[in-house]
Amino acid sequence: MKWWLALMLAVLLAGTARGERLVSQLSNDSVEITSSFDGERMNFFGTIMPDAGSEQQFVTGPFHVVVVVLGPTQNRVARQMTNNFGVWLNTDQVEFDNFPSYFQVLSSARLRDITDITTLTTEYILPEAHTLVANDAGWWKTAVFGRELVRLMTEQGLFGVNEGGVNFLSENFYSARLTLPSNAPPGPYLALTYVFKDGQVIARKSEGFAVRKIGFERFLAMSAVQQPLLYGLVCVVLALFTGWLGGVLFKR
Amino acid sequence: MQVYLPIAELSMNLFFLIGIGGAVGFLSGLFGVGGGFLLTPLLIFSGVPAPVAVASVTGQVVAASTSGALSHYRRGGIDLHLALYLVLSGILGAFGGVAAFAILRDAGQLDLVISVGFLVLLGFVGTLMLNEAIRAIIKQRRGVVVRERLPNQHNWMHRLPMRVRFKKSRLYISVLPVLIIGLFIGFVGSLLGIGGGFIMVPALVYLLRVPGNVVIGTSLAQVVAMMAATTILHAVQSQSVDIMLAFCLMVGGTAGAQFGASAGKHLRGEQLRGLLAILVLAVAIRFGLSLILAPADPFSMAVLGGAR
Repeated sequence: MKWWLALMLAVLLAGTARGERLVSQLSNDSVEITSSFDGERMNFFGTIMPDAGSEQQFVTGPFHVVVVVLGPTQNRVARQMTNNFGVWLNTDQVEFDNFPSYFQVLSSARLRDITDITTLTTEYILPEAHTLVANDAGWWKTAVFGRELVRLMTEQGLFGVNEGGVNFLSENFYSARLTLPSNAPPGPYLALTYVFKDGQVIARKSEGFAVRKIGFERFLAMSAVQQPLLYGLVCVVLALFTGWLGGVLFKR
Repeated sequence: MQVYLPIAELSMNLFFLIGIGGAVGFLSGLFGVGGGFLLTPLLIFSGVPAPVAVASVTGQVVAASTSGALSHYRRGGIDLHLALYLVLSGILGAFGGVAAFAILRDAGQLDLVISVGFLVLLGFVGTLMLNEAIRAIIKQRRGVVVRERLPNQHNWMHRLPMRVRFKKSRLYISVLPVLIIGLFIGFVGSLLGIGGGFIMVPALVYLLRVPGNVVIGTSLAQVVAMMAATTILHAVQSQSVDIMLAFCLMVGGTAGAQFGASAGKHLRGEQLRGLLAILVLAVAIRFGLSLILAPADPFSMAVLGGAR
């Protein structure tokens, strides 16, 4: 009973005396893909303040901030080639359902200095955390293929961890910069910001932004899906016309 | 200058796309083939997803072959009757090819089938062509007059039932080998993203004995019609035709093809065939090596469901 009272006391103390909140902002709430889209730079700002209603006048650090940017999910598959009688074949594969198509971590220090591995995993801050899901393939194969999938995504520039991507401009004001690559898949994105103090998450916030095609690119992508027959016919007519025009222009 | 490809969902350099379109177009004008067998691997190597590359190249092949087909048509070098049979059976084959494409992609074996397909087809056709071209060159060096093949030399294939008269080709042959050739090229072409001109020309010459003056034109007309149908099939079924990508390749390709065609006039027929044979064999060897050499990365990934 004694430890139970101690815990209650601790909770009460934490609830009244201490409390920080995060006020943050994204530089843009939508990224528009136009014909010259070559990636986009985004900024994340925030300040850590005493929670409303708490008795604190100011916050005391040191704080650490981790910003996780998640792209729309897809069902991905990782495949392995093996040598069969001299020929290399795809022989094994593991499916990862609802796997993020984009995942970047920005942090103000090395992740392992900020908190322990359990917190990083349960909060889905490490890329590998997304591969640790129940899978028909069994845990060993899931772990092996998951690590390879994260490596492949990292090579494509879609996954990454930037330890030092968050800068503190003062004790409690931070900014972070992220460059979305040109192959960032369109869809809804989520930016999750965690504030750590002494290895514990003391505040968190999530903000959404959208990466979407606009104008002519949107029109093309929409018509390819909604009017596939017409789209195909237009492609063919365009090809026939280009071929004919080429023949006329270059005829001597 | 970067241009965003809305279906491939990545941006590429405009001049790079027009450049490879032009380079492949030059070769296709030089040798009278569509060039899909070079362009598709090049695009995949540059990072375009394989389904988008295959489907968009079909659009480019239509454009590259159109100007050639038109000029042959004006000269009367197309047997429309024969082309019709080839196109109809080709479209039927293309339905099978596009369906097989989707099944293999989901099973993860598309790369293997593309590699083996290219290796077998290109290796076989390339060896035949090189052999034939070398013999012709040696004969010419010795001063032997190369005898033109007689168009009415028939073989057993022509005596099968259901004979049809093809006036322009001066042939009265069974329609069955014609349909089988069309079906096969339709299937292989849509599966591998190639026009199949380099298979069609030898098949018409050696199997059907079509006279030389209508071979190229008929083959080009068949490629235009069949690839147009395949483009529409890919657009409807996998929605992976990228019109921006296809257009950039078309612009380069049609321009390059004109220069290639005029450069081709300075080379003799057997030299051209010999060079094309070496090119075809080189691509075949490259695919063969990819099957037996240890890959740089034994792991690969793909998105399931949908075209991308």
